[in-house]
Amino acid sequence: MKKEFITLAHGSGGKEMEELIESLGISYRGEWKDCDKDSATLRLGEGRLCFTTDSFVVDPIFFPGGDIGHLAFCGTVNDLCVMKAKPLGISLALVIEEGFPAADLEKILSSIKRLSEEYKIPIVTGDTKVMEKGKLDKIIINTSGVGLISKEEKACDEKIALGDKVILSGGLGEHATALLSKRFDFETRITTDSKPLVKEMEAVKGIIRLAKDPTRGGLAAILNEIVSKSSIGIEIVEDDVPAKPEVKKAVEMLGINLYELACEGRMVCIAPEEKADAVVAALKKFNPDACIIGKVVEGDGVSVRTALGSRILPTPSGRIVPRIC
Amino acid sequence: MLESEKEIKQHLKEIKRIASKIKDKQGDKTITLMEICGGHTNVIMKYGIRDLLPRNIRLISGPGCPVCVSSQKDIDCMIELAHQGVPVATYGDMLRVPGSKYSLDDARAKYGKVFEVYSTTEVLELKKKHPDIVFFGIGFETTAPMSAFLLKNKVAVYSVHKLVPPAVEILASDKDIKIDGFISPGHVSTIIGRKAYDNIRVPQAVSGFTPERILRGIRVLLELIRDKKMITVNAYPEAVKEEGNVVAQKLLQETFIITDSDWRGLGTLPKSGLEVRDDSLNAKKIYAKILSKVPEPKKTGCRCGEILKGTIGPQECPLYRKSCTPENPVGACMVSEEGSCAIAYRYGK
Repeated sequence: MKKEFITLAHGSGGKEMEELIESLGISYRGEWKDCDKDSATLRLGEGRLCFTTDSFVVDPIFFPGGDIGHLAFCGTVNDLCVMKAKPLGISLALVIEEGFPAADLEKILSSIKRLSEEYKIPIVTGDTKVMEKGKLDKIIINTSGVGLISKEEKACDEKIALGDKVILSGGLGEHATALLSKRFDFETRITTDSKPLVKEMEAVKGIIRLAKDPTRGGLAAILNEIVSKSSIGIEIVEDDVPAKPEVKKAVEMLGINLYELACEGRMVCIAPEEKADAVVAALKKFNPDACIIGKVVEGDGVSVRTALGSRILPTPSGRIVPRIC
Repeated sequence: MLESEKEIKQHLKEIKRIASKIKDKQGDKTITLMEICGGHTNVIMKYGIRDLLPRNIRLISGPGCPVCVSSQKDIDCMIELAHQGVPVATYGDMLRVPGSKYSLDDARAKYGKVFEVYSTTEVLELKKKHPDIVFFGIGFETTAPMSAFLLKNKVAVYSVHKLVPPAVEILASDKDIKIDGFISPGHVSTIIGRKAYDNIRVPQAVSGFTPERILRGIRVLLELIRDKKMITVNAYPEAVKEEGNVVAQKLLQETFIITDSDWRGLGTLPKSGLEVRDDSLNAKKIYAKILSKVPEPKKTGCRCGEILKGTIGPQECPLYRKSCTPENPVGACMVSEEGSCAIAYRYGK
């Protein structure tokens, strides 16, 4: 870590965070594998156990279509799902600021409760701490989860191959637009895309090579991550990437990059060319915007093809800030 | 995502035709066009527009990123105010620009009381809790009216606002660069109007920000160059009026005076900035004692100045991609979404 203190950029999921984690020098992993992925895995009988954790800080805590509780449940469940694991249970830890309205807490917890019952993923352990007023901004939630990859499923570490298709399960940027509408005070019908990807993954896990959820850092971060350990590249076609017109206008107005915005209920799948149509058909049952957005190509890195030519899509860095004018 | 592929194709066809006519007349001489605004640079790089143009047309990027042209000394001054406990607010993009030792982002992490705002109305909200808040007013004629609005509401402003036409005039007469025409900024021109460029005797096309609107601007510019017309044409009539935004202009006159201004890399340009008219709201006067102790910044070796003038490209700066990256920027051009170096880095050039 080059900095003498921590800044917001260290928590933005980009290069600064990678550097910070590297500088911590945590190297003892025991028998655990996949420690750099969405969930770490451990051999258990003939299958693999999956384990993940995530902390949630979001401003505002309530936004169109969701709240911090909804995110805390979906975030951890999805980190298990994209590893092709069946979520077995999650933990829930709350750190609350003194004076926080009980009614707000009730709303947040009822979101979590509802999802837990609907998706039959129990909340099995937890913790509650309260901090003095002013020492914390409202609430922080941490969830951890365990899941199981059955022996039939290969873990999500299959190699991608030339010609493979890149499939997105729905429109980009809806969660971010919902949040930004609160932050920058504009009206929109867009609501968060936050949702557990349990059913989506169940429908496609036998026919895809791997999946990732474009949370912090968005599509740009995960596509770069996918190609970073291989000697092939990914090309996406700009006109094929689904995004609602209101989302496109909102990002244009604020001068931010659609490809760097976080989704909380979308996944990107890589599938062999001959299976891509079946993957799209399966995903369309959950979201009509699901489609092929690109393919695995020769070369390295990620590029975007536009009507005029092609450009590089780099890993995001720094925090997302709107353009000045 | 493109609104009009057909229009793009038509413009490109015309651009090729006119460029080859000019070539017939002038031979292999390169036609150099400068886009002033960082917003234009971004779209040009994003869509690879440079590669689509005929070989005898060269596009260079100018000093039109509000963050990039703000001087390091001014940033150091704002950081010092934060250090002394004065609450400061500014636009998010500005927070990451490195001063001599820290950025305002760092100052917030270390000292607190540094606020990121998107709109100046948020500053009025902050003022309720922090009555002595200082707004760091940056940017061109586009953002200056928002600072004027704050001054009207009795918020202290540290102004580094800059004016576009004086910079264009100086660049147009710079013997080192030889610019044949300017793609002039659309947003700035919505405020100042097309007529604000009338005294500058160089071909200019006020352009919008989609690929087809930029190409439309380039096409208009080539027509002017071909016909040797030293005038400014409004190629963005969807948004820009002849007179501009008269209400905003009046507000600016009431709250600011025109002054010489320090541009990063370009030095002090005469009558190119806006200073707060009312001393009691001018943070530079209110905190003169604190600010007088801020030392002159040391040179970083960064070649921002030449990059902002378009005499060298980002790749020719010895720091580019080495000690200067978007995560650890040395020069301001690497910080902003609209900075030439950040754009070149982002689009892999």
